[in-house]
Amino acid sequence: MSSMSALKNVHNLGKFGDHEDKKGDNLLKILEVKNFLIIQIVQFKNSSIAIEKINIDELKLNDIPLDVVFNENTRILWNGPKNWFLVSTKKDLIKDISLKFKDSDFAVTDLSHSRAVIEIEGNYTKEVLKKGSPFNFDSLKKNNSINSLYNNIAFTVDVLNDNPYKVRLFALRSFGESLYQSITDASLEFGYQSI
Amino acid sequence: MLYIKCPHCGMRSQNEFSYGGDASVKRPELGKEVSDQDWDNFVYNRKSLRGKHWELWQHVSGCRQWIKVERDTATHEIFKTLKANEEISL
Repeated sequence: MSSMSALKNVHNLGKFGDHEDKKGDNLLKILEVKNFLIIQIVQFKNSSIAIEKINIDELKLNDIPLDVVFNENTRILWNGPKNWFLVSTKKDLIKDISLKFKDSDFAVTDLSHSRAVIEIEGNYTKEVLKKGSPFNFDSLKKNNSINSLYNNIAFTVDVLNDNPYKVRLFALRSFGESLYQSITDASLEFGYQSI
Repeated sequence: MLYIKCPHCGMRSQNEFSYGGDASVKRPELGKEVSDQDWDNFVYNRKSLRGKHWELWQHVSGCRQWIKVERDTATHEIFKTLKANEEISL
């Protein structure tokens, strides 16, 4: 069985929109990111396990809103109280997670195949996000994450860098193409390069 | 646009929330005899007051938590928000 990426049918390489005479960070770069391990971790309300004692890929969970704990391979996004969204390039981390999070205290769900992931980088990234989302992106700093809406599509934003602004967007795989179309439509005004 | 301060995530647009009804309704105590009228009041009957009102909202496109919101039903002004497990002080 061959696997197909979530945006295979819509992500066309090239330069689009008002891209002429734009270089470097002034030209938006949009790419689909594939092959992540994406895990949702939820601690049950009746669990008394101290999350600070759990170590995943040398990272400790914390319950601080908007906060992302990270290293070069793995990012753990705060998704709600006692609710985390782990994104990693280390596929074998799932074994470690399954061992450390017991069924009696945590619900661990592998979402790797049910999310579309889009990365946007460039000086106009915030403007593109502001066009479709009601969230105030000026308040969102590097290594923050939020859940919000983009043209009424639920999505998660993870800020990887703030100069130039670089974000990773996650949406349900079935809404991925719609989100991609919305993002690229909003980017035409600024010009973008699909990578 | 209406903005609601989620006690977990901070100030967010109302678009991210879903309305969940009157927050002041209390379920009849478990294990006690309940009259049909009391059950009817709990399940169906609402006052629909004009003015300040405690409501349940869910931050459905955010942290997915239920919260309590004190809102004026005439002006839409929001006075206070609480986590779902926090008690309303009337």
